[in-house]
Amino acid sequence: MANFDALMHGFAVALTVHHVTLMVLGVLLGILVGVLPGLGAPNGVTLLLPITFSMDPVSAIILLTSTYWGALFGGSTTSILFNIPGEPSSVATTFDGYPMARDGRATEALTFAFMSAGFGALLGVVVITLLSGFVTGFALRFGPAEYFSVYLLAFCSFIAFGSGPPLKTIVSIALGFSFATVGMDSVSGAMRLTFDFNDMIRGISFLVVVIGLFGIGEMLLTLEEGVSFKSADARIRPRAVLSAIARLPRYWVTMLRGSAVGIWMGITPGGPTAASFMSYGLAKRMSKRGAHFGKGEPEGVIAPETADHAAGTAAMLPMLALGIPGSATAAVMLGGLMIWGLNPGPMLFIERADFVWGMIASMYLGNVIGVILVLATVPLFAAMLSIPFTIIGPVIVTVCIVGAWTVAGAPFDLWLAVVFGLAGWAMKKLDYPIAPLILAMVIGDRAEDAFRQSMIMSHGSITVLWSKPLVGTISTLALVLLASPFIAALRRSLRAREQLPPAQE
Amino acid sequence: MLSRMQLELAAVAVVFVLGSLAVIGALEHEIGWASDGPQAGYFPFRLGIILIVASLVIGAQALASGARGRELVLSRESGRRMIGFFLPLVGYVAIAQVLGLYVATALYLGFVLRAMGRHGWQATAGVALGVPLASWMLFEVWFTVPLLKGPLERWLGLA
Repeated sequence: MANFDALMHGFAVALTVHHVTLMVLGVLLGILVGVLPGLGAPNGVTLLLPITFSMDPVSAIILLTSTYWGALFGGSTTSILFNIPGEPSSVATTFDGYPMARDGRATEALTFAFMSAGFGALLGVVVITLLSGFVTGFALRFGPAEYFSVYLLAFCSFIAFGSGPPLKTIVSIALGFSFATVGMDSVSGAMRLTFDFNDMIRGISFLVVVIGLFGIGEMLLTLEEGVSFKSADARIRPRAVLSAIARLPRYWVTMLRGSAVGIWMGITPGGPTAASFMSYGLAKRMSKRGAHFGKGEPEGVIAPETADHAAGTAAMLPMLALGIPGSATAAVMLGGLMIWGLNPGPMLFIERADFVWGMIASMYLGNVIGVILVLATVPLFAAMLSIPFTIIGPVIVTVCIVGAWTVAGAPFDLWLAVVFGLAGWAMKKLDYPIAPLILAMVIGDRAEDAFRQSMIMSHGSITVLWSKPLVGTISTLALVLLASPFIAALRRSLRAREQLPPAQE
Repeated sequence: MLSRMQLELAAVAVVFVLGSLAVIGALEHEIGWASDGPQAGYFPFRLGIILIVASLVIGAQALASGARGRELVLSRESGRRMIGFFLPLVGYVAIAQVLGLYVATALYLGFVLRAMGRHGWQATAGVALGVPLASWMLFEVWFTVPLLKGPLERWLGLA
């Protein structure tokens, strides 16, 4: 019951006029960011982060998480109405959402999407609520070696479960770590990889990198592929909303399955994008109406949406509890936590219970507010996309460049944003995953510090990673995951060789 | 205009150079393992090696990719659109370094809307002046985050 008391305390923190206003503002900004192409959740949260430096951490996290929920909802809106995913994680929603809208069932599709997304999100928060008490039990057993093994596990699971080819994932991670080492070394005080450039002493800010890779890179991609917004009828009919809500419980199996997939993928760093695709695939295979998928089947909207949002909320648990973000957006928020002077990890649940539970309570409220607001504002945001892209596009570019300046007030960062924009375009084209790079940049320093502290404790012996059952289990699991894709590839090639007909002389 | 293999090789070359830079930079420090664990250059050195090795392997895979490598990742038309977007962006950032963000934003939007988007003078002027004004209200007044300023703001006594 301790969790319930803490949650009630959290609601007391979150339910002030100030905080509810921030939630509404965050959700609206998020929907805007989600609807506009080129601005996604990671980028939107990054642009807002410099503004939160002067806020208290609870208000700041409420604003940022609400923006995240809003962006997830906004991304689904454009997927359904325009067949253009506002977010990578809502690509799977286009498969059945757009056909539904084209057949004049837009209201139905949107209602199914938002309600099931809200359901997935709430289930994700419930799981966080239940598991959080468990995390505090762990807290005191965590030392530097445990932290490092958990970081190791996070990166190895990216290589094992991630979307990109394993070698390219390794390149992304190594690049992220390398960028993180630029600047002053926090252990020895040495200036690393600065090559005597003054602009490099501050290090490379991951926020500027996010703006470049996601913001400008996404714009380049959108532009190069050419965009045209052909909206399906965006009017919302209240009666259709109610009838869709009434029919929603029929799809409880799909919703529960989607939530389970999402929560699992959110806690292990698989991320919302992978979760929504996996959930769609599972639903298609297991549904009786599987053959109708892709032609406007409500289940094909519900499955990816529940998983997407469940993953989005569930990703907050490893971020708070272990300092490992489950998605790129969570990685940006993690960076925010450190800038606000908080130390993510199990101790956070003991030292800053008000922050943790205020945030969890705000996740319940923010998602309910999100569902209502997004339904109410669909026509408004749909109308916004009738402004020609030749106006919206350049304005988004200026928002990104100005955002890059607000990170540190350095003219050099503007150039970095442009260079990383080009890099982001190339990475997308060539299947180099971007999220691991961001993750490595955010936790690179912490991972290195944790490793070096544990080495100092063990007098330079690597066996410290197997010194206790807890840390040993995590380290071993990490190595197994790291090896798994390469073993699988080896086995595949061996089997292929066996099946090959004998060479003809 | 650009085949997959060309882009793969270009990316691999960048990764190779970055890896080499990490190795060179790390060599300015101790890269070994002392009694208190790894030294300052230990991680950058090894990350550099990982990048170099990975870039060589991916490069070799790309060269062996055959038909998939020859497919276009950027058609001539898309390429032209991209360059048309990218060059003004570079100009925008270059001008911002000298004239500040407000003036550069107005010039960039004015140029792109008029020359690339072929919008009328009214729409162009509205957006090109409206966005800097809105940014001024948002950042200087509301959030009190000063943006990069140039000679114009100094002359007007605003900086």
